[in-house]
Parts: sequence; structure tokens; C-alpha cells
Amino acid sequence: MTQRIQIVIVFILIQLSIGYLVYPDLIYVLTKTAHWELVMCQGFLQLILIWIYIKGLNYFPENDVIDIYLKMGRWVAIIFLIPFVINLIALVAFNIRLHTEVIISVFLPRTPYWSILILLYFISVYTSIKGLGTILRSSVFIFLIVIPLVVFNIFSSVINFDIHNVTPGWELPARFLLKNKFFYLLGFSSFLFLGFMASKTKLSFRQLFVAWVSVTLFFLSVVYIPLFIFGQEAVVTLTNPFLEAMDSVDISWFSFNRQTMFFGLSLVGLVIVANSVMLWMIGQIMRKIFKFRKVKSSYWIIAFSVISFVLAFLVPNQSLVEKCFLWSTGAQAYSMIIIPFTIFIYGFIEKRRVKA
Amino acid sequence: MRNNKLFKLLIVFMSTILLCGCWDIKDINKRSIPLVMGISKEDDEEYKLTLQIPIPKNDDQISRIVTGRGETVASVLGQIRTNSEDAVDFSQIRLIVIQKNLAKNPQELRDLIKFLMGSEDIPSRALVALTDDDVENVLSNINDKLGVHASSIYDYFNKGAGWVPEIFSITIWEVYRSLYSYTKDIAVPVVRSGKDTVLKFKGAAILKKGKIIETISPDECQLVNVFRNNNEKGRIESLGFASIIVTNSSIKNKTSMKNNKPTVSSNLRLKIYILERKEGITNKRIRKELEKLTEKRFYRLLKRTQGSQTDIFGFGQQFHQQISYHELKDWRNDYYPKLKVNFQVHANME
Repeated sequence: MTQRIQIVIVFILIQLSIGYLVYPDLIYVLTKTAHWELVMCQGFLQLILIWIYIKGLNYFPENDVIDIYLKMGRWVAIIFLIPFVINLIALVAFNIRLHTEVIISVFLPRTPYWSILILLYFISVYTSIKGLGTILRSSVFIFLIVIPLVVFNIFSSVINFDIHNVTPGWELPARFLLKNKFFYLLGFSSFLFLGFMASKTKLSFRQLFVAWVSVTLFFLSVVYIPLFIFGQEAVVTLTNPFLEAMDSVDISWFSFNRQTMFFGLSLVGLVIVANSVMLWMIGQIMRKIFKFRKVKSSYWIIAFSVISFVLAFLVPNQSLVEKCFLWSTGAQAYSMIIIPFTIFIYGFIEKRRVKA
Repeated sequence: MRNNKLFKLLIVFMSTILLCGCWDIKDINKRSIPLVMGISKEDDEEYKLTLQIPIPKNDDQISRIVTGRGETVASVLGQIRTNSEDAVDFSQIRLIVIQKNLAKNPQELRDLIKFLMGSEDIPSRALVALTDDDVENVLSNINDKLGVHASSIYDYFNKGAGWVPEIFSITIWEVYRSLYSYTKDIAVPVVRSGKDTVLKFKGAAILKKGKIIETISPDECQLVNVFRNNNEKGRIESLGFASIIVTNSSIKNKTSMKNNKPTVSSNLRLKIYILERKEGITNKRIRKELEKLTEKRFYRLLKRTQGSQTDIFGFGQQFHQQISYHELKDWRNDYYPKLKVNFQVHANME
């Protein structure tokens, strides 16, 4: 039971971590009016995928995604999961680099980026090597620290709101579904890790639904706070709208006179959880697929994290980081569609066969 | 077991290695922290930057003025950094005073605002003011006055609710927003160096996409402030035969579109308190006179701004529901000049 709540917490934290930075930019580029429809659209797509995923997983109690793929055959597992691993490596790398850049611009302007990179890497690799239990427990801890900060950020920015900045209405350009930017958007819904943690605890859809609602509300707030403050016309010209929105709030009455400080601190916590989960997933996949090698998953994690560290280190500038991050989330969207569907279909067929 | 403890101890000692991460730290007493920045242009070529840096001694009553010249604001900032004795930390700048001769060129002002917004050092929540005076005079004026706090220039704009409803405080991000907004223009406060006070409030300059359209008087400023949903509380109005103070105010706007003609009906409710009056003047007369005066002031300002197509009141903001987003782009040119406003003031005794 406790573990289930912890998984829900991890789900929320990962979504926050990935949604904070690039998500609002994408939305503003995709539509000029009725942003909420786009957010809801992405949310519902995500919900449907989660539902299919969990349905599929529930056909195989006591098994996680890797076991199910291994049942289909080793080569099937390799074909489906190795690209996913490569994608994860890229995602870890660019995610951490992106967060590093933002942390530097928020409160460590004179620190070289590699030192922050090393710090974030070290902690998340350590957590993921320690295993699932540590990740879950530390995520509860981070949740308790970060969520009050996030809520504080949202509420204290209300003071700068101009409600008239937002056009209410339904007029969403219908073609957005076909744009590949929407595909990137779908990649922001990271729920695939659920299948990796599901072997011991059976996930219930209802709890995830609650988590989904809170995450969608969060996404709405991330999109609408800059909109309420700056308006659509100005928001598209900003490189980091949410950051600027936080920066516009004057809280000199508070002992910390900059609100972005809280934002930066919560980013540190979030990125550590998100990356440790991703690295842990890599470790699990590699260990189970290449069982005959008898390599511990921690060695896999260390090896792959070094690769992604080098990758993160080598990206020369911030605009490229953002582009690479988008590409890797876009690639993630493929796995997000393919993995739930294959598992669901396989489970369905398997059940029929057992019955027959 | 013992080995394990030793290992843990070793890890604890290893953490001292992290201390060398503090190599680039600069303590707060080794930094100079400017509060106010003045920007002007000399001979239409060079930017001149003036910084007012309080010296944290003697009850904060002294401050020094540092100036620098250069081709761009960024280069002057770098120059000041190089020449300064301490590390200069721009992150606490609270007010930016821009000399009007720079604001003459709209493109330059736009670039300046964009730079200030994009700069990571200078906070975008710093306030902005314009001045006709020499910026250096305005900033150094503070040192001539006795008993004035070093942060007084900033405090001037932050008196808090109910003290001076005329004064604007406009931040950089608000100016930046107005550069792009389809439906709202902005007024930036104009100050001069005062004779016995540090600053003197001269009204506000209306900015339309970085271009100064005109200057409005403090009385009109206060009207604009009312439409920005600021309370008019504390305003003192003299009607010749009586003077009153506004103790509370609220405004309600209703918008409608009739065959492509926008209409706004807005009701301003004032709660007033009579401070003094000549003999024989009734409450009713004071109320009527005040209503008439405020309405007249409003219509005059509206007509002027409609002529120059600057929506200083932000009426366009309220038409987001009636006009589609793509048509709002032409709000200033097509709709705003046609806008009809039914402005009614209701004054009540407290």
C-alpha cells in the first residue's frame, strides 16, 4: 500500500521535472488561443495510454515490462527495449544539462556548468544504484520539500496576474494534432516507468487517476501563469517564460527576496528523482536482457551514466540543448505509444490462448 | 564492524573536499550593491550609466555615485565592473531611471528594455522611471539632502497603499509586456530632482511600443491608475470651494459590441470625506462637482489618447471575449478610435 502511494509520488515528481521547463514554450508555439484545450488534449491522450498500459500489465501479475517482453522472446525484447534504452540515455543527458543551465541562470551565475552537472549526476546515479527502495523513499522526502515550494510559487505569482491577458474560448486551430510539435508534447507524459515498478505491487488505475488530475492541474498552472502575467504576445518572445514569470514577482517582504530561488531549488530536487528513475530503468533492462553475462545492474548504470554524462558535457550551447531535449522527448513518444499497445495486445492474445 | 565505521568516517572527511567548491564566493561585505541605475545618452552616441551605491555605514545615510560611458549598456556595465574596487552585484537594482533624451528614439528604448529584461544580472522586477533632468543630478541629489536614507529614491515609489494614489510604479517586465501587447499601452512615471525633497513627481509619459506619445499630469495619472484597478484611496481633491479626500473607490466595467463598434460602460464609485468647505456649501453640491470634474478629466484624456491611438486605459484587454484574437491585432488602429465609453462617477459620503 505504502509503495503504491510512493509510486504515485514518483509519477508526479517526474512529470513536474519534465514539464517545468520546455513544456510551456511548446504550448505557446502550438497555439495562440485556448491553451487549456491543448493541455487537456495531451492529458487525455496520456490517460488513455496509461489505461491501456495498466490493462496490459494486469494480464501478467508479478511481471514487469521486461519480463513480458522476454516472454515474447529475447529478440523481441532487444528490438523493443534497446532503442528505448538509447533514448533514455539521451533523455537523461539532455534533461540534466537543461536543468543545469536553468539552475546556473537562476542562482549560480559564476559557477562553471560541469561542477553542477557532476553534483546532479553523482546524486542521481547513487540513488539509482541503491535501487528501487531508495528511489521511492527519497522521492517521498523530496516530494515533501518540493511541493510546498511549487504551491508557494503558484500562489505568490497571483499578485501579478492580469486576467484580461488570456482569451477565453474554444477556438483551437484544429490542425495542431498533425504538427510534430504535438508529438513532442506527448513525449512529456512520462509514465512508462510504471511498468517497471509494477512487478511487486499491482497498480490501481484510480490512484493514478488522482495523480493524473493533479499533474494536469500543474501543467495548466505552468502554462497559464506566464500567460496571465505577460500575455500571449509577449510570452512567445521570452526564452524561459515560466522563469521570467517567477522573476517578476517581488517578494521583498520575505527573507528570500527572489522567488526564482525556490524555483531553482525545487528543480534540483525534481531532476534528481527523474534521472535516478531513468537510470534505474536502464539498469533493470540491461540486467534482465543480458542475464547470461552476470553483470550487476549497478555496473550497467555506471557505464551508461558515464555515456550520458559525456553527452551532456559535450553539448556546446543552450539552444542546442533545448533542441536535443525536444528530439529525445519526441523519440520517447514513440515508445510511449508502442510499448503500452504491444503489451496490451500480447496480453490479450495470451489470455485467449490460455482459455482455449 | 570497526572497518565499516572507519569507512564512514572517511566519507565524512571526504566531504571537506566539497569546500573547495566555494572558491569563487564573494562575501557580501566585499560586494558593492547598487540600488538605482540611471541610463542616459550623451551627444546621441554614447550611453552613460550612473549607479547609486549605498555605503553601509553611518546609518545608511551616504551613498556614492559611479558613472561610466560606452557604446552599449552591456559594455558600460562591464566597464564599471572592471573599474570598481569591489565586485559589483547588479542583482539588487530596484529602480532604473531613464533620461528622456534616450527615450526619444523608440527603437533604442525598445532595445534597452529588451536588454534589461533579458539580462540575467538585472532583475526584471526593478521599477522604471523617466526624467527630463540630467540623470546624474537626480541620483546625486540624494547626497545633498539631510537625513535621507540611501534607499530613498526607491522608497519614493513604494509608499504603499493609501498614501499617494497618483504615483505609478511600473516595472521593467510591465514595460516589456506593453512592447508586444495588442491591446494595452503603458504610462511610465516622470520625475525630476526636487529642491528640498529628493524627487518631484511630474506626471507620466505614455509609451506606445517604446515611443513616447505624450505626457500626462499627476491628476490624469491617478485616473489611469484607477483603471489599472488600483484603489484611489487617499487622494485629495480640491474643488475650489471645498476639499475632499477619497477613502475608498471601486470601478466596474461592462463591455459590449454593436455592429463592430465597441462600447464600454464603466462605473466609478467613490467614497469621500470632506476635509474643509466654505460656508453654505451643501454635500450634494460637492458630490456633483466632484463627479463632473472627474468625468470631464476622463473624457478629455480619452479623446486625446484616441487621437493618438494609444490605449492607455487598457480597454482593449476587456474585449478579448468579443473580438477574436486575430482581430485584436488591429485594436489600436481600427477599434479603439471608435470606442465609446460611458463613464459615470458616483460619489458618496462616508
